[in-house]
Amino acid sequence: MNIYRHELKSFAKSTIIWTCSLTVMIVLYLLLFPAFTKDIAVTRKLFSALPKAARAALDLDLDTFFSLLGFYSYLLNFVVLAGAIQAMNIGAGIISKEYRFKTADFLLSKPVTRTKVMTQKLLAALTLILATDVVFISSALAWAKIMIEEPFSAKIFLMLSAILVFVQLIFLVLGALFATVFSRIKSVVSVTLPTVFALFIVDMIGSILDAKNYRYFTPFKYFDSQYIMKHAAYEWRFIILEVVVIACCIAASYIIYLKKDIASVT
Amino acid sequence: MNLVETKDLTKYYGKERGIIDVNLNIKEGEIFGFIGPNGAGKSTTIRTLLTLIYPTSGSATIFGKDIIKYAPEIKEEIGYLPSEVFYYEKMRVIELLRYSASFYKRDKKETEKRIKELAELLNLELNKKVEDLSYGNKKKVGIIQGLLHRPKLIILDEPTGGLDPLMQKTFFNLVRQENKNGATVLFSSHILGEVQKLCDRVAIIKEGKIIKVEKVSTIIEHNYKRIKIETSDKIDSKYFAIDGISDYKAENKTISFLFKGNINVLTKKIVGLNLTNLWVEEPDLEEIFLHYYEKD
Amino acid sequence: MNIFLQELKANRKALFFWCFGMILMVSSGMAKYGGYKASGQSVNQLISTLPKAVRAILGFGELDLSKASGYFGVLFIYLIILATIHAALLGADIISKEERDKTSEFLFVKPISRLKIITSKLLAALFNVVVLNIITLLSSVAIVDYYNKGPSVNTEIYILMLAMFLLQLIFLAIGIVMAAISKNPRVATTKATSILLATFILSVIIDLSSKIEKLKYLTPFKYFEAKDLIKNLELDPVFVFLSLIIIIFLTCSTYLFYQRRDLSI
Repeated sequence: MNIYRHELKSFAKSTIIWTCSLTVMIVLYLLLFPAFTKDIAVTRKLFSALPKAARAALDLDLDTFFSLLGFYSYLLNFVVLAGAIQAMNIGAGIISKEYRFKTADFLLSKPVTRTKVMTQKLLAALTLILATDVVFISSALAWAKIMIEEPFSAKIFLMLSAILVFVQLIFLVLGALFATVFSRIKSVVSVTLPTVFALFIVDMIGSILDAKNYRYFTPFKYFDSQYIMKHAAYEWRFIILEVVVIACCIAASYIIYLKKDIASVT
Repeated sequence: MNLVETKDLTKYYGKERGIIDVNLNIKEGEIFGFIGPNGAGKSTTIRTLLTLIYPTSGSATIFGKDIIKYAPEIKEEIGYLPSEVFYYEKMRVIELLRYSASFYKRDKKETEKRIKELAELLNLELNKKVEDLSYGNKKKVGIIQGLLHRPKLIILDEPTGGLDPLMQKTFFNLVRQENKNGATVLFSSHILGEVQKLCDRVAIIKEGKIIKVEKVSTIIEHNYKRIKIETSDKIDSKYFAIDGISDYKAENKTISFLFKGNINVLTKKIVGLNLTNLWVEEPDLEEIFLHYYEKD
Repeated sequence: MNIFLQELKANRKALFFWCFGMILMVSSGMAKYGGYKASGQSVNQLISTLPKAVRAILGFGELDLSKASGYFGVLFIYLIILATIHAALLGADIISKEERDKTSEFLFVKPISRLKIITSKLLAALFNVVVLNIITLLSSVAIVDYYNKGPSVNTEIYILMLAMFLLQLIFLAIGIVMAAISKNPRVATTKATSILLATFILSVIIDLSSKIEKLKYLTPFKYFEAKDLIKNLELDPVFVFLSLIIIIFLTCSTYLFYQRRDLSI
């Protein structure tokens, strides 16, 4: 487990920074909730005066939409966006660093199989992401309990928060796969940032335009917060899709990594 | 027993030639030299032995075990020092060495002691950050991480670049010491002098193929010299018609050639001339390849 | 000139992909316009009565989605995200890559001043940014025109693209200045993109509450908003001025810092 420990250490600083930023972000967001509820008091009245058909056209459930959970689920979009960048950075970074820093020769001339190298690196990345998530989710929940007087379901709150974990896992393995296939990437961010934002934009535009099947193309939409709030459950086919995508990425990463030639540094 | 054995080892990078049908047998306990010009395939061979890259065809064994099948087991007993060393820049030297050591099943206390010893011998500070080290000092880190687990096979790929002459001497002594304690050494270089100083046998590689495996003592016997003579009178081009002369070039009153053979025959010839200047130099390896081995 | 050409060459593949991505986004975004137009009318009226925060959460903003210009305005925010990411990455990369790839010893011992090296690199980056902008502009005009059945909206598109160009320059400048002041060249891209991400998220928060509207001076993403641009058909001079100040200040700082920089090897 020496590689595992080594990687934890070398990513510790950036993980702490990410964790703090995400946590601060949600704390600030939730501070805005009281102002938001004031703004919408008028809207509520306006909405309830509307005929049912018009409300249906907007596809809104008033109670969830104006509740803390509705507010939180909206904000979570942007936390998840940032979290996806973090996850893909770690996934791509942890694999490509040996090439970028020319240490692949050092590492792989040691008595260790490539399988072990990959496994320990992936485990380290997973640990870092989960650590971020645990800190983030527990502080978000605690802060919401302290800040917000209105009662809300902690279970749904946690189920919504878990979207962060699911999306991060996918981007983690996507990053790892990408770095395995294109082992000569020089800068991690220039790969991860456009990828993550592109998928995020597919998500945003798709939901504004109410497109039908775009959900399958962007991990950001595998877990729909409206659905979760309504049914207190996830959609099975997307859970399965998630598992399949992750399994495929991991399997492909191993297969490619085990067979490839390590580029010479000189 | 052959410690390293390669059989028709071949590596192509796409269509580009790496090495072709390399057959090497390195015996236990010897210091085996591996020389050839840049791009000849030395590093490709070594990187294949270390399974950093995989052969296109052919096979190899180290310690009698297949290099691909038993890669981690084999590496347990290998120490490797590449020509250019790169390490994790943010780590301190001691952290890096401990990380390196953590891969091997060795006694911790013993390893710590060994690190201290080697660092002292090579005069290396252990608390500096890797990124702050000079090139030569990084090389020292490379030497220590390659030797700290007392490997049975030491692989050195053009290791002396960046080391000053004094440190080179220390390093060679260290390698000899390890060899005396039982380690086998594969030493790749393009400098004949280095190989002569250290090795028992040497393989010469050119354009991906092994063209000769020879005892170093034999090469020394051959005694290649590059001779350059400047005389007051013009020399007849037939004057040096003796055995062992090649690459003969004449320009006004200056002539130069490569010589291999009994030096006394040559000096007798030179005595008959009125010299204004004389150079006797070690030819570089490529010249020897070009004018002797290529004809074989 | 040789550095300029070398940099254009080094970036041409990436530029091609970015242009391709922009065209793809404009065309896929507008493709839905036709369908939306029919059903959108009544919902649209309703939406305009909602408070700002609610509209922000629903993702509509204050744009009239029944018009081609309003619809394109929704796309605009995503176009500028992509364009600014491109600019920030490009700026940080073009300056820091010599040290990252250990080619600084090659380049900086040539008989050419650092001033010239940076200028050539900046011009090359500028060229890339301009090309991306023009390609987006041309493809937008063509694609919007294809779907638009009402009066021409080309003027709106020109204004929006001009705003996008200013934002591109701001983030290009942020990228290069980060590369110039960071001791370790590898972190330049990280720093530049962190700023981008932070300012983007700040712009999202500002939409939620009118109390913090003053913070908009801190995030370039709030300098030029599609709704104002489309309504007024001109850029707010205050923010144009602010943008120019930022661009000039950061560019000058880049020159200043890079001149005295100890190059890492």
